[in-house]
Amino acid sequence: MAAGVHVIHLPLPVPFLVLGGTLLLWLAARRLLKFLTGREEMPEGGGEPDYSIPLVDSQAQGDSPFHRWDPRIKVAALLCFMFCAAFLQQLPCAAAALVVGGGAVVFARIPLRYPLRRLLAMGGFLGMFVVVMPVTVPVKSGDTLLVFNHLSFLPFSVRGLNLALLICIKAVAVALLVDPLLATAPFSHTVKALVALRVPPIVCQMILLAYRYVFVFQNESNRMARGMSARGFQKKTDLRTLRNMGNSLGMLLVRSFERTQRVHDAMVSRGYGGTLPGQLQFHARPGDWLKGAFWVLAGIALLVADRLCTLPTGFRF
Amino acid sequence: MHISDGVLPPSVTVGTAAVALLFAAWSARRTDPDDLPKIAVVSSAFFVASLIHVPIGPTSVHLLIPGVVGILLGRSAFIAVCLGVVLQSLLFQFGGITAIGANACMMGIPALISGWLFRSMRGPSLPRLILAGATAGGLGIVLAVVGLALLLVTGGEDFLGVAKLAMYAHLPVLFIESAIAAFTVSFLFRVKPELLDMSFQAHAAR
Repeated sequence: MAAGVHVIHLPLPVPFLVLGGTLLLWLAARRLLKFLTGREEMPEGGGEPDYSIPLVDSQAQGDSPFHRWDPRIKVAALLCFMFCAAFLQQLPCAAAALVVGGGAVVFARIPLRYPLRRLLAMGGFLGMFVVVMPVTVPVKSGDTLLVFNHLSFLPFSVRGLNLALLICIKAVAVALLVDPLLATAPFSHTVKALVALRVPPIVCQMILLAYRYVFVFQNESNRMARGMSARGFQKKTDLRTLRNMGNSLGMLLVRSFERTQRVHDAMVSRGYGGTLPGQLQFHARPGDWLKGAFWVLAGIALLVADRLCTLPTGFRF
Repeated sequence: MHISDGVLPPSVTVGTAAVALLFAAWSARRTDPDDLPKIAVVSSAFFVASLIHVPIGPTSVHLLIPGVVGILLGRSAFIAVCLGVVLQSLLFQFGGITAIGANACMMGIPALISGWLFRSMRGPSLPRLILAGATAGGLGIVLAVVGLALLLVTGGEDFLGVAKLAMYAHLPVLFIESAIAAFTVSFLFRVKPELLDMSFQAHAAR
């Protein structure tokens, strides 16, 4: 073991209590999401399903500083802030970015279930860091190790835990900003803003097409899964399950291709030539630039503070 | 498995984004504009596949299918994977916005390689085709997981443990993806074989 390592002994139940508490928190968050989503009024039954069900721009009709913001400046400024936040290296600055992200969700009047769903989607990946990093990080001089009684073969590095927490906080801070970025304008407007920001129009067209097809295929996929279970198919860990799922994936592809070909032919015959018509004009007001400047400066200020400030030993890593 | 925001060091985030842009530009140049809707289809299928879960014992994994995307699209596969990754990130936060470049490289380059392998391995007979499909499907996952581990390790030796765990955790996925790719390819061969030839013909015509 390297020199200058502080060792703190703790009783055995501590790690289990912490782990159990985290697990409970995770389950509670899932229940909360289920509860919040359950209250959402869903169009029930009858007729052709509505494929235009929006997912990323569900709050586009709302009103907030984010809704009134010119999408071009919004996309550019928030992306800039996101990258700055992702590059932070110290916990206090990352925590500040987290507060900014949370504030953005509140200001944009996003219902809790949308950011919550995003956070839960990241849970598995981030959980891996929190569980694995404290016990696998190599021990360096100046580290603090927690050793639990009867578990002395598994020293627990505080530096590793800090590193994992830093990653989690940054990931959450950026994820919180995604809904204010995307949900506060119709998705087609956001994509138009991308075109205005010099993203190739062909790429934007494909994003729009793929975005639409996602819902169509998800519906198709669910329909096929329902049909399979109606015929008695049950997922198990065996080759037959894999064969049936491989076949259904193939069927999904065949149906999707045929359907898309028909739609594309219909679009071309109506004069589609690579761009969708639209009269959307962007007007940037001074206030829009001001908001943009605020976010860009906030991001840069965080990054500069992060690199310049040094913390007392023990918090540094 | 998708890398979220804030994991990779700045240089790697920017570097992978640049590599992804280069590959995407190359992939788009090699793509016939008439094929754009097909690419959007495969992107969406790539996305939807990540919502299909396959059980392993008490738990389950979702499909990744970089191999199948490569088989279906050939050189256009990279742009399809890029789109899929963008959608996954925007819609579900599978992978962070700032890590889109890294995730696109992690899944897109394996898709290109396994697509190329499939086309050079396939034969006229069904068994050869199934073998090629299984190899391409498995190789797609192997390369993607190695890519994930390499990207994680760029963060320094502190990330070695996480990278190793991520690799071991994907071992069962390798077999599942290999089998799924083989069955999907054999299904397509029997039902709509021109889908398997699409990318091939597009390049032959060039």
